[in-house]
Amino acid sequence: MSGLRETLKEAVRQLAFRTSLSSLKKKGVQKVNVLGIDRIVALIEASVHRSLKSRLLGADREAVAEATKAEFLRLLRSNEDLQRQKSEWEQQKEQAEEEIDQLRRDLAQHTRSLQNRLEQVELENSNRYDGENAVIARKVSDVMQAIAGNAGMSAKAAEEKVMELVMDVVSGERQDAEQARRALQDREVDNLQRRIRKLNETLQQTEQRLQHVAATKNIEGGISSLYREVQGVSVGDALANKKSELMAEIFKANLELQKKTSKR
Amino acid sequence: MTETKQPGDSPKKDHGVLYIGMDLGTSRTSVSASNGVRETVYSYVGYPKDVVSRKLLQKDVLFGKEALQHRKSVNLYKPLEKGVLKYMSDGHNDTESKINLKAAQELIGEAIRLAKPRKDELVYCVIGAPAEASVKNKGAIIEAARLAKVDSVMLCSEPFAVAYGLDWLEDVLVVDIGAGTTDLCRMHGTMPEEGDQVMFDIAGDAVDAELERRITLTCPGADVTIYRVKEIKERYGYIGDPPERCIVELPVNGKPTPFDLTEQIAQACSILVDPIVSGIHKLVASFDPDFQHKIKERVLLAGGGSMVKGLDSAIEKAMRERLGAGKVLRIEEPVYGGANGALKVAHDMPADFWEQLK
Repeated sequence: MSGLRETLKEAVRQLAFRTSLSSLKKKGVQKVNVLGIDRIVALIEASVHRSLKSRLLGADREAVAEATKAEFLRLLRSNEDLQRQKSEWEQQKEQAEEEIDQLRRDLAQHTRSLQNRLEQVELENSNRYDGENAVIARKVSDVMQAIAGNAGMSAKAAEEKVMELVMDVVSGERQDAEQARRALQDREVDNLQRRIRKLNETLQQTEQRLQHVAATKNIEGGISSLYREVQGVSVGDALANKKSELMAEIFKANLELQKKTSKR
Repeated sequence: MTETKQPGDSPKKDHGVLYIGMDLGTSRTSVSASNGVRETVYSYVGYPKDVVSRKLLQKDVLFGKEALQHRKSVNLYKPLEKGVLKYMSDGHNDTESKINLKAAQELIGEAIRLAKPRKDELVYCVIGAPAEASVKNKGAIIEAARLAKVDSVMLCSEPFAVAYGLDWLEDVLVVDIGAGTTDLCRMHGTMPEEGDQVMFDIAGDAVDAELERRITLTCPGADVTIYRVKEIKERYGYIGDPPERCIVELPVNGKPTPFDLTEQIAQACSILVDPIVSGIHKLVASFDPDFQHKIKERVLLAGGGSMVKGLDSAIEKAMRERLGAGKVLRIEEPVYGGANGALKVAHDMPADFWEQLK
């Protein structure tokens, strides 16, 4: 009997659920009636014995009690197996969830690395073509994407698309080259005009200098006098004597002046 | 003819003799030379004020009209005053005086250059100078001519040179009206002495100052410079009956405005008459009485001031009133009269005299 009692105790313990006073309070339970497990087991035994006593005879009663006991124990074991299975399944479930999480993490990591790689490739592409080349590369990329994205596009349409792109790029390049050539020509023309202006100014200055030099040479060269020799008063002059006297007086005055000035 | 160079790089002067006669005047300096050159230059010398003006003008020194035209960008000098070099007139020898001396020397040099002498010719120059000029002043003129490569130089009285140039050596009274002074000189066959000459400073510049004063008084608001006044006088100057109305445009507050200056010009020019007649009177009265009538009949007007229209008639009229008679003649070329006379003096000077003064 003591074995059954222990078994019942164990069964009640397993069927009962554990809770704390604070959680009961949270549920609004203020007071509880406490019933001890031994008392519950004793009540179950008493109720079983009373039921069997009132309905069965002595031998039968023992047999039924044994059978019930056996059944009870079997059910209890079965319950224990189920519990065990449940815990195994839960373990398996947790393991599976853990694996799923790991797989998700791996997927996210792969996705990130793929994104990084794509960005790196895009950056490399954009670096590979800069300025006007980047524009062309973008146009080519757009066209190729349009062709690739339109599976039903015929070869003719694709050719037209590519041709249109090529013509657009080539004509644009030609236009740019032409503009650059014209700008270069304009610059050269400006430079040449400036040089011409400068040369003109220099020419004018040189001409002026030449004129000046010519004029200076003329002065330096001088104009010849009418006389090869010193003249003096003409002998045939009616006033020759008077003039000679006057010349002598002028000379004397100047000689005197020269002496005075040389003394100073 | 080629030039023959001596070892010292100075050309041998065996080509000929160039005579130069120079009238060194307060307003104008004129030269006549025996190579046919006759030139005149206003007696202004300009030095560029700074490097900018020097670069613009491309010259270190400017002369005459060119200097006047650029007077805003040059330091302008008029090195002669009242017929003599300005630098010693006040007895000082400061920086300004030195610059005036330098300007005078450069002006004489320019006048010599204008005569276009050849390097291989002897250059003999006679310069008309006022009798009143000091020894120092005359010495400076001679020195300036020597610096300009003149081989031999002499000075002579300006009015004498005028008379000599016309071969009027006896019984003639020369009135040389310059810018700074009016010189009267009595010629009687010999070199004029101190008593034969009269000089006063009522001349061209005095007329300019008087005309400027009258314009300022009678033309309200008119802006006029002494240079413009001089131009007006040289263009319209007259005494007596006006040959034409003298309508001159003068700026009033920036706007050219016509003014009738007929009366003002006549009044300004008239200031010449009385002192000239007084001078003539003095020289006539002090002359030999037997020859006074002759000298009264041979008054010769020369110099730039003699170009005033009607001046000869006005002097004649005044002489008749004060001296009982008078005959005034104007020389044909007032600007070159002195230079032509000096050239003739140079021509007639014997070789020996030139040699001694070298």
